[in-house]
Amino acid sequence: MTDTALQSAVVPGRRGGGSTLALAWRLARRELRGGLGGFRVFLLCLLLGVAAIAAVGSLSQAMLGGLADNGRALLGGDVELRVIHRPATPEQLAWLEENSSRLSRAADMRAMARAEVSGGGRRLVELKAVDGAYPLHGILSTETSGEDPLPLAAEEGVWGALVDPALLSRLDIAVGDSLRIGSLSYEVRGTVSREPDRAAQAFTLGPRVLVHYDSLAETGLEQPGSLIYYQYRLDLPEGESTADWRRRVDRAFPDAGWRVRDINRAAPGVDRFIVQVSLFMTLVGLTALLVGGVGIANAVHAFLDGKRNTIATLKCLGAPSRLIFATYLGQVLALALLGILGGVALGSLAPAVAGPLLAERLNFELSGGLQPSALLLAAVFGLLTTLVFTLWPLARAQGIPAGSLFREVVQRSASRPPAWALLALGVSGLLLALTAVYGTDGGDVAVGFVVGAVAALLVFRLAAAGIAWAARRLPRPRRPDLRLAVANLYRPGASTGSVVTSLGLGLTVLVTIALIEGNLRHQVVAQLPEEAPGFYFIDIQPDQVERFDALVAAHPGVEAMERVPMLRGRIMRVNGLRPDEMNVAPDVAWVFRGDRGVTWSAEPPAGSRITAGEWWPPDYSGPPLVSLEAGIAERIGIGPGDRITVNLLGRDLEAEIANLRPVDWSELSINFVMVFSPGLVQQAPQSHIATVTLDAAQEEALEAAVADAFPNVSAVRVKEALESLAQMLRAIATAVTLTASVTVAAGLLVLAGAVAAGQRRRVYDAVVLKVLGARRRDVLRSFLLEFGLMGLIAALLAVGFGTAAAWAVLTTVMRVESFTFLVAPVFLTAAAAVAVTLAFGFAGTWRALAQKAAPLLRND
Amino acid sequence: MQESGERAMIELRDLRLTYQSGAGAVEVLRGIDLSIGRAETVSLVGPSGSGKTSMLMVIAGLERATGGSVLVGGADLGALDEDALAAFRRDSVGIVFQDFHLIPTMTALENVAVPLEFAGRRDAFERAAAVLEQVGLGHRLDHYPGQLSGGEQQRVALARAFGPGPKLLLADEPTGNLDGETGARVVEQLFALQRAHGTTLLLITHDPHLALRCRRVVRIGDGVIVEDAPADEAAALPELPAQAAVGTPSGAAAAARP
Repeated sequence: MTDTALQSAVVPGRRGGGSTLALAWRLARRELRGGLGGFRVFLLCLLLGVAAIAAVGSLSQAMLGGLADNGRALLGGDVELRVIHRPATPEQLAWLEENSSRLSRAADMRAMARAEVSGGGRRLVELKAVDGAYPLHGILSTETSGEDPLPLAAEEGVWGALVDPALLSRLDIAVGDSLRIGSLSYEVRGTVSREPDRAAQAFTLGPRVLVHYDSLAETGLEQPGSLIYYQYRLDLPEGESTADWRRRVDRAFPDAGWRVRDINRAAPGVDRFIVQVSLFMTLVGLTALLVGGVGIANAVHAFLDGKRNTIATLKCLGAPSRLIFATYLGQVLALALLGILGGVALGSLAPAVAGPLLAERLNFELSGGLQPSALLLAAVFGLLTTLVFTLWPLARAQGIPAGSLFREVVQRSASRPPAWALLALGVSGLLLALTAVYGTDGGDVAVGFVVGAVAALLVFRLAAAGIAWAARRLPRPRRPDLRLAVANLYRPGASTGSVVTSLGLGLTVLVTIALIEGNLRHQVVAQLPEEAPGFYFIDIQPDQVERFDALVAAHPGVEAMERVPMLRGRIMRVNGLRPDEMNVAPDVAWVFRGDRGVTWSAEPPAGSRITAGEWWPPDYSGPPLVSLEAGIAERIGIGPGDRITVNLLGRDLEAEIANLRPVDWSELSINFVMVFSPGLVQQAPQSHIATVTLDAAQEEALEAAVADAFPNVSAVRVKEALESLAQMLRAIATAVTLTASVTVAAGLLVLAGAVAAGQRRRVYDAVVLKVLGARRRDVLRSFLLEFGLMGLIAALLAVGFGTAAAWAVLTTVMRVESFTFLVAPVFLTAAAAVAVTLAFGFAGTWRALAQKAAPLLRND
Repeated sequence: MQESGERAMIELRDLRLTYQSGAGAVEVLRGIDLSIGRAETVSLVGPSGSGKTSMLMVIAGLERATGGSVLVGGADLGALDEDALAAFRRDSVGIVFQDFHLIPTMTALENVAVPLEFAGRRDAFERAAAVLEQVGLGHRLDHYPGQLSGGEQQRVALARAFGPGPKLLLADEPTGNLDGETGARVVEQLFALQRAHGTTLLLITHDPHLALRCRRVVRIGDGVIVEDAPADEAAALPELPAQAAVGTPSGAAAAARP
């Protein structure tokens, strides 16, 4: 062979990328025969995170799917129109009848129900009046004695009622007994367990009573200004589209002031809730994945460390770096795929497992089958997380020098990863961030999460490095066990960084959630009742006001009473623009969403402070003025001089903003976004609302006295309402904590991985220490100190960051005024963390101590 | 005795190698001039730390010289990038280590086939099987390294090194981890394969008998060549450490343990 021939062989032969990949995959497959031993933590971390995201996504998709599938039943028809205070006018009703294939009327309100048996009690109930056409869609589940599933019509002059079974036991009555609502007696003809048009009413003040629509007029409850919602559900005329129909109804009654909904948004509150909760939970799941990412990186790092010889051998045999990289990337991705598929499979079971339970609460069936988009998203998250956490060790591994195979050669560390690897890492990170923001449709919240997660990872890494730095510079403790423990924190290859980062991050999430939930509950339950009134009385008619005031004032134990007129109205326009034409910030969108309480007053409400403009003179009688809540005005960007149009009882009323005043809603006193000047508003039909603060022992007596004197007035017990709210909060918090504990589980996996990885070193240390005369308990104490220090540091950092995060969320997102640091849950979390770390350390150390010294010293 | 540059397989001119370490620069090779002809067999001897292995690494393209030039088969290694060096090793150089360095997750057959696969040869496995047959391991093709004895492992490594038909074989203490009898068999096979392929052989050894099997002995001391002579004339051989002879594991860490 000539030199040129050899030279030509030396010139690198360009082979196609395809063949490199094929070869890499062949090598990877052979390498994978080594088993999955070192990858247990890797697989579990990935499985856990992906399963959490897949489960949350699948559930939320299944719920939204179920909502869409059941839209017509939940809405009650193709379209629903809702007005408050007064039914549709005969003209409107005629139009609706003419322009629908079917029409059903219903009314919703709160009322007092009283058992007409001796010693019978009273109870605030959620009253619903329906006509014979109800329900147009879906299935109403009732239990009645006769054939008729809805026996509400008058029989021999007596109307029927179906009630929530809970009401029977509450009032100690049975089917067949009478129930008085307002001034009308109903015969209880059975129970109702499920209404098709009632989606997830988590917050109710009383049990359901179902009566006939036509009976309502006889109850005396239908007073002008009473808080009654009238609903008109209809099926569209044959062949007409929803959009066309909505255009026509808008044209026919532009100022009707009704809220029109169609099946595209059958339950906007519920779907908004599902979307928000699932976004939150997805982000928590992603945190678990990121926490697990530290474990993934550790596992790959340890795996590649064990492959140094193989990699160097392959290089000596002529493998180019990119082949090495592709081979090990292939292995990592193959294993990742295994973990991801496992997680996706596990997560996809969530709707089947949790579905029946949720269906009962939501009152609609979840859509069945797999949710491919949710599962795909979870898989993408898993894949990108794997890349982000493994590209660095992989890139370093491909730089392992081949010369390390020769004896006599001093081992030098692998070079820095090449630029292309850093670029790939950056691109993966960016894709992960983009998926977190756009894949979840999370908007600002997701952006905040990404920024927060990156910052937290960095801060924890820095903190861990700082601890190692500080431990190195600390004066050497005199006690040898403490000295060894401190030294182990910064020893090369110490797991301090990864354990503090992963466990700390998981705990941070837990502390954050504990504080947010605790603060919210604190506000609702613990803080309020001290100053909160005992009752709200609603639907007091103007002609009853004087007698009501007198009755309450004369009742023993009453400490204070506040009463104001109230109407409900919808904001139609601001400065002539409809809300959909304005750029409304999401956190004030609620102001425009439904009916708002409205009042009028000559004087500023007690205790209010005017921050802009001026209050009108007491004898003002000019064109309508309005006082607007300052915070909302600021968010909408309006102030004194701007004009606002409100639809009250079907009539648009335009008023000029005269002044702004801030309201602290948490005080639970009566307050309103809008307070009008007397005059036009004063003329409108309205009812009064009153709060009464009194001795708790007198609550029952006052409720009875008011109910006897004013059958149309409903009493809402504030404590019951708050308890119901707190219960809802607790249920949500439980679900959230459950999801969040996945992040802690991921942190524990990383801890377990780190304990396992350090086991060889620990065994060696233990044996050497024993040889040098240390007793078992000295060795044990030293290791426990090391783990205790690590757990304590992670816990302290988590308490700090978790408190900061909770404070940020509560004050900026939830706009809670005061933040309370809750000692108990936070330190319980921290103490549990230290305990668990110690337990893991103890388990590892115990095994280390069991090792016999001799064989180790001979072989090592 | 020097080969002319035209016909040389290895041509080192004023080769220098300096490592930067925390304690300052360490001069490992300090101006080596050496020419080795085609099909020549050369043993490289010298005390530990004299620079033998570093020189071997430079010739294999695993370490870059910090001065001078390295021509192997007429190619200037200093001019090749990392991927080109990998291809150069793949196509032209076989290496045998003291510790065998077989890949534990691959069978004997796969281990031998790997460099052939890297070379993109379609007959990689047929060729690998043939070479294993040559070293007497035809019956062990599907065994993993862990299932083979030390001697068998080193024969697999020999087969792997010779499989692609390299023009140059580098061996670093190939019998260092084997007992005398096994080592002797491996040496026989090494030279038989060298002759059959007409391969240039450069081997590092502490074993005087093995050193004398080569035509030429090059002795290195403190980073420079201190002797370069035909084997039958090499003066310093009796001075080679006695315990390094075949039959005694040389440099084995076990010796230093209680």
